[in-house]
Amino acid sequence: MKRLDALRLHTVRLHKLRLLGAVAVIGFLVGPSVLPGGVSAGRVEAASPQETIAGAARKVVKIHGAGGVRGLEAYQTGILVSPTGHIVTVMSTVLDADELDCVLDDGRRYRATMVGVDPRRELAVLSIEGEELPAFTLSTSDPVPPGTRIFALSNLFGVAVGDERVSAQHGVVSALVPLEARRGSYEVPYRGGVYILDCTTNNPGSPGGAVVDWRGRLIGMLGKELRASGSGIWLNYALPAESLASGYAEIVSGTAAADDMPADGLSGPGFDPSVLGVVLVPDLLDRTPPFIETVAADSPAARAGLRPDDLVIAVGGRSVASRAAVQQALLAVIEGDAVTLSVVRGGAILDCDLGPRPAAGRKR
Amino acid sequence: MTHRRGLVSLWLVSLWLCMAAGAAASSEDLPLEEEAAIRAAVERVAPSVVRIETAGVSEASLVSPAEASPASGPSTGLVVEEGGWIIASAFAVPQDVSEAIVVLPAIAAETDPAAKSLPGKQPPGRRQVARVVGRDLARGLVLLRAEGAALAPVAAWVPRAELAVGQWTIAVGRVWDAAVPSVAVGILSATNRSWGRSVQTDASISPANYGGPLIDIEGRVIGILAPLPADTAGMNLGTELYDSGIGFAVPSDDILRVLPRLKNGETLSPGVIGIGYSSRDPFTGEARIATCRQGSPAAKAGLRAGDLIVAADGRPVTRIAELRHVLAPRYAGDSVSLTVERGNGVAVDKSNSEGKDQGKDETNGQAKSRVDVRVELVQALPPWRRPMLGIVPARSSARDERPGPVRVAWIWPGSPAAKAGIVAGDLIEAVTLPAADGDTSGSGGEEVVESAAALAGIVAGQEAGQTLGIVVTREAKRQTIPVESVAMAADLPADLSEQIPVFALPPVGGVVPAGDAATVERLEAAEVARPPLVVLPATPSREPLGVIIYLDLPRGPVAEAQAAEWKAAAARHGVAVILPGSTDPQRWGREDIAGIKRAIATLAAKRAIDPARIAVAGRGAGGAFAWLVAESLGPAARGVALIDATLPRQATVEPAEPGRSRWVLFGNAADDKAAAQLAPRIISDRRRLDEAGFATGTLPLDQAAGTPAAAIAAWVEALGLL
Repeated sequence: MKRLDALRLHTVRLHKLRLLGAVAVIGFLVGPSVLPGGVSAGRVEAASPQETIAGAARKVVKIHGAGGVRGLEAYQTGILVSPTGHIVTVMSTVLDADELDCVLDDGRRYRATMVGVDPRRELAVLSIEGEELPAFTLSTSDPVPPGTRIFALSNLFGVAVGDERVSAQHGVVSALVPLEARRGSYEVPYRGGVYILDCTTNNPGSPGGAVVDWRGRLIGMLGKELRASGSGIWLNYALPAESLASGYAEIVSGTAAADDMPADGLSGPGFDPSVLGVVLVPDLLDRTPPFIETVAADSPAARAGLRPDDLVIAVGGRSVASRAAVQQALLAVIEGDAVTLSVVRGGAILDCDLGPRPAAGRKR
Repeated sequence: MTHRRGLVSLWLVSLWLCMAAGAAASSEDLPLEEEAAIRAAVERVAPSVVRIETAGVSEASLVSPAEASPASGPSTGLVVEEGGWIIASAFAVPQDVSEAIVVLPAIAAETDPAAKSLPGKQPPGRRQVARVVGRDLARGLVLLRAEGAALAPVAAWVPRAELAVGQWTIAVGRVWDAAVPSVAVGILSATNRSWGRSVQTDASISPANYGGPLIDIEGRVIGILAPLPADTAGMNLGTELYDSGIGFAVPSDDILRVLPRLKNGETLSPGVIGIGYSSRDPFTGEARIATCRQGSPAAKAGLRAGDLIVAADGRPVTRIAELRHVLAPRYAGDSVSLTVERGNGVAVDKSNSEGKDQGKDETNGQAKSRVDVRVELVQALPPWRRPMLGIVPARSSARDERPGPVRVAWIWPGSPAAKAGIVAGDLIEAVTLPAADGDTSGSGGEEVVESAAALAGIVAGQEAGQTLGIVVTREAKRQTIPVESVAMAADLPADLSEQIPVFALPPVGGVVPAGDAATVERLEAAEVARPPLVVLPATPSREPLGVIIYLDLPRGPVAEAQAAEWKAAAARHGVAVILPGSTDPQRWGREDIAGIKRAIATLAAKRAIDPARIAVAGRGAGGAFAWLVAESLGPAARGVALIDATLPRQATVEPAEPGRSRWVLFGNAADDKAAAQLAPRIISDRRRLDEAGFATGTLPLDQAAGTPAAAIAAWVEALGLL
């Protein structure tokens, strides 16, 4: 209801906003360089975008560590989360260094020590010896909705040197999606939700950068560079503040889980989907449509009512566009969870329940 | 400095506007207010945004799953009307797909009783099969129907007239998450793109939100996102712009206008008029008609070559581009009224423009008149068939000699030109054209011939069956010889190599070059790791060479011994034979095409080549690849010879047009078992090419004699045939 009210409120002024679109965007882009400092004299309360960025950028550090060979950068970004020098960043090869330096926006350089890592979130906490440092407060508040305007602050391409402030970009939150849904597409162990950003943040040096809303609140941390293995499309995303906060708490309290992911990141070795009794058409193309060729008699598939020539379109409610995707999705079902196949037969969609996934290694 | 001052003033203006808005917004910050408005706008349209999936449900896949076109990943659709009517992008639902799967938004699922009865874990949205009802091929959209689904149609549309560059635009998709739509924000970059078919935004557009709405700050739909290229008919070609800050949307007016027709099951195609213009540059050239295709809407309306189009639907036209803005948005079946200026010293046929004369311009003693016509556009023109007279002009190169009459090198045996009595050595000065449709004055005028390319253009611009007057000078005597053209269908005579003049020899006397009159070299070029071999005639001659690119079975680099097979034929017919090797010893690949293009460029820098005599030939797998190479070379490749090969399975054969036509030869040994298996496909390929207006023929093949070098080299010489 609140939002509906907001909409009604806005319709009054919308004609103004419509025309303001371009001017505000252009104005914002050129504003800071032309008129440094706050320009909203005469305005009240809320900080100007320039003030928001200036305030947030002080809490973002440039990290210099190992790398510089084979296309691996030796730098990334970190976020100060305590006045006594705790920094959260992305776990990466940059941190595999004897001498790890963090440079604040005023040029102060600190030697950093590793506090700990959370391999599941690919999160690391560093520590520098400082006092009364500018820092974000990690909060566990609700995620922000798509459409939220954001600034991303990071050491992209390492262009910020010495006392230069990290680079600012602007955009909006495009979506909050579980990376789990993209498992297989993106080779990451993390299974929680991430913000997809409408902002080109996928750059060398950006990982560990801060994503703040236009009030300057930390809403996420830029993740490591990620590319869809299927489509080759780069993903602009951030780990939500909530996940960041729990990860941070686990690391500093020493309760962060060790890497408990199975080697293949899926359901563990040994499970053979053929025990379900579904035989798909031969995999001849890159994206063979997953038609069922035969159904083994007295198998879970047969009992669920699957038939030859059914076209599988989803496994467990998630769409599968190819034969290979079906295989992958079946492997991802955890032992004991229900296996559900959605198929198209004669213009209708049928959801077939094959019962709980059998234990690994059981052969018929 | 001016630039910077401009920015400052822009900033001040925006500051002023901010304060103006701030006054209205009391204490709330403008950026946050905008953010709230963006979110409210998205929520308003969200119930109408659905996910579209295609899981290879194409008809082809039902018949034969292995040959199905790979369906693309999920995309977005927009519910446009009550009753489950959804518009999606043709990118997500390609031509051969007759059904798509719609994932109902979570909002609809709450109110949908069927969603509750699903077993197990509640999926994010219920799936339903939707039927493809109509297609808009001109704008790359499809209309789907998901019958019985509880779907909320778009609440409000923005008329195109209200759009202003710079206003907020929000692109909404539903691919990441079925519950919450994805959002990309930008501004409107242009209100008229893709020749009037789209508006442009700088919001990130990608296959994920194709088919989704582009909305304004109030949540009203501006248009539907689609990969619309600026310049071609191929609808998927615009996709290379994804996430580039250049995105297109089909405006709402256009969608709502055609919605009833799409619901009616129609497939809407771009409208075609059938005019070729005198100028090649649409932005500088006036819209003067060079050719009116026979049977085309333009010809039926009484337009003819020489007419100058000066207005379209009441809008003045001074450049071709202006006319294109009027024509490109139209569909087959739409009409357009054109005003043409006619007459340039040629008498005006008043009966043809009865009562429509708007006035005459008698300046310079020339009679000009204005004629109004109404033209109904069609989906496709009657196929153009390449006409032929039987004249083979002498060689000429691109960086040509001075313009002048064209010498006849030889005459195709048994052709109309042979029967009419044109002989080798005649100099063609001009061509008198036949009268246009409906013109009773008897003649379409005379065109002066200044080059072989110009003569080719004149002949190609006509239709088979018309009579051209060929004005020739023979022994200093000028005469006009009427020749009736025929549709070109040309099998290669087995002994063509023996029948035609030998390259660079004077018409009488001279010595036929032996096999050693050609050399084998490597076409070295910077940054080319494996330069292809080339067989080059050694004869020092100013005459430009023909070019053949010969692609054998893929087996890595080509041996010099194989190149030697070509020496005699290359020398006899003045043909450079490029023999590329495949990068991958197992297969020809896309990377090889780039190398071939480099090789041609390198050769052209070394020796003069005749642009009218460039062909690609291949055997087996190299044959199918030869077709792809020719497609990639475009109009430059004048001939393709397929030996023991067929067109690639995915080959698209676009209808031939004047200036874009090929002579395609098939060589197949009938006694061979493998060849017998190929025969039915060759027949169907030839039929396809014939129907598209290409000249096809048979390459005589003596399997025992190995590579048919002599026949192919002679054919390259014959490619100049008009």
